[in-house]
Amino acid sequence: MINRTVTIRNQLGIHARPAGQFVRIASQYKSFVYIGKNGKEVNGKSIMGVLMLAAGFGTELNLRVEGEDEEAAMAALVDLIENKKFDEE
Amino acid sequence: MEIQSPVASITVEKLFEDNSEEASLQIINSKNGFNREIRERELNRPGLALSGFVELFTYWRIQIMGNTEVGYLNTLFEAERLQTIQRVLGFDLPCIIFTNSNKPPGEMIEIANRNDIPLLSTPLSTTALTHHLSEYLNAIFAPQLILHGSLVDVHGVGMLITGESAIGKSEMALDLIERGHQLVADDVVTITRAGRNRLEGAPSDLLMHHMEIRGLGIIDVRRMFGIRAIRGKKQIQIILHLERFNAIREYERTGMDEGWRDLLGVRIPMVVLPILPGKNLTVIAEGVALNHKLKQLGENAAKDFDDWLISRMKKDPPTRDDT
Repeated sequence: MINRTVTIRNQLGIHARPAGQFVRIASQYKSFVYIGKNGKEVNGKSIMGVLMLAAGFGTELNLRVEGEDEEAAMAALVDLIENKKFDEE
Repeated sequence: MEIQSPVASITVEKLFEDNSEEASLQIINSKNGFNREIRERELNRPGLALSGFVELFTYWRIQIMGNTEVGYLNTLFEAERLQTIQRVLGFDLPCIIFTNSNKPPGEMIEIANRNDIPLLSTPLSTTALTHHLSEYLNAIFAPQLILHGSLVDVHGVGMLITGESAIGKSEMALDLIERGHQLVADDVVTITRAGRNRLEGAPSDLLMHHMEIRGLGIIDVRRMFGIRAIRGKKQIQIILHLERFNAIREYERTGMDEGWRDLLGVRIPMVVLPILPGKNLTVIAEGVALNHKLKQLGENAAKDFDDWLISRMKKDPPTRDDT
């Protein structure tokens, strides 16, 4: 199991489209993906769960990935949030 | 899978038979020339051709002569009238229809007989006949397409169900019928472009509301479920495309991005539904129809929720993740 803290860098935060991107990428891996904010943790493969976090710009989130391909999954998700910034500003 | 089948032409005989009742058409001369073909939906009033200007004469169209044309011919002296009629009827006209029960001059009947041009008459006014024939010809010459799929009226929304053979289109249609929706066509849907942005689907004349269910055979939906379970034709408003679940393909999760498919030049919204065991597809189909209705009324749940969420995130300052 690996843990990472990431910061939301796109202005609009995790709204519907970024949530869709996140879930889509998380679902490509076999590992369990969890994403948490303020102690609330949700399944990273559930759209409604991810949206429920209402993670706006600057929010710090905890990513927890567990499974055979956890390294690759974590790398892809961190890249999406921090480097690609969900292809937004 | 798809066959384009536009009607290239109809004979004057078909025009007469299809409209003799509604437009009270009568034959003035004879059925000679009833095999002449009409290739265009447009009509023509040959006023200018009668007056001598034939350079741009659209003679291949149905010619309509009303009070104006007949009145004009009656003002001419005999020799000039004969010459005029000979000139205009020298063209390869499909037929001439006289409105307001106008009678053609005697010379015209003689020349029309010689040239095998059918002369028809109607009590309707020129405007009324023009409207009537335009509607009829538009329907005849509208671009048409035959598509493999099922068309069901789901909560008033015309839903075209597509997908490869044996994916379960007919089964879904049957399930929808069972739940009180109406079958328009199964397996073979005849699609007509009824307007610039309007597609209409109907069953084939032969199949009507029969359907084939694997393991059950051919059933008659009308007989099995009654008249309430069927519908003659319906505008196609949304496409539900069924496909085998493909782990690589990305399916829509939020409803923010809307897919579509072009049919006969009309863009129809399309929802792709992956088939997975244990999913109740019929309920999803109903949901798709209801969501489409809401969107038509300007209510887009996915977009509204997204807007609300964004405003909410802007209001709440980011908090430290203390897990």
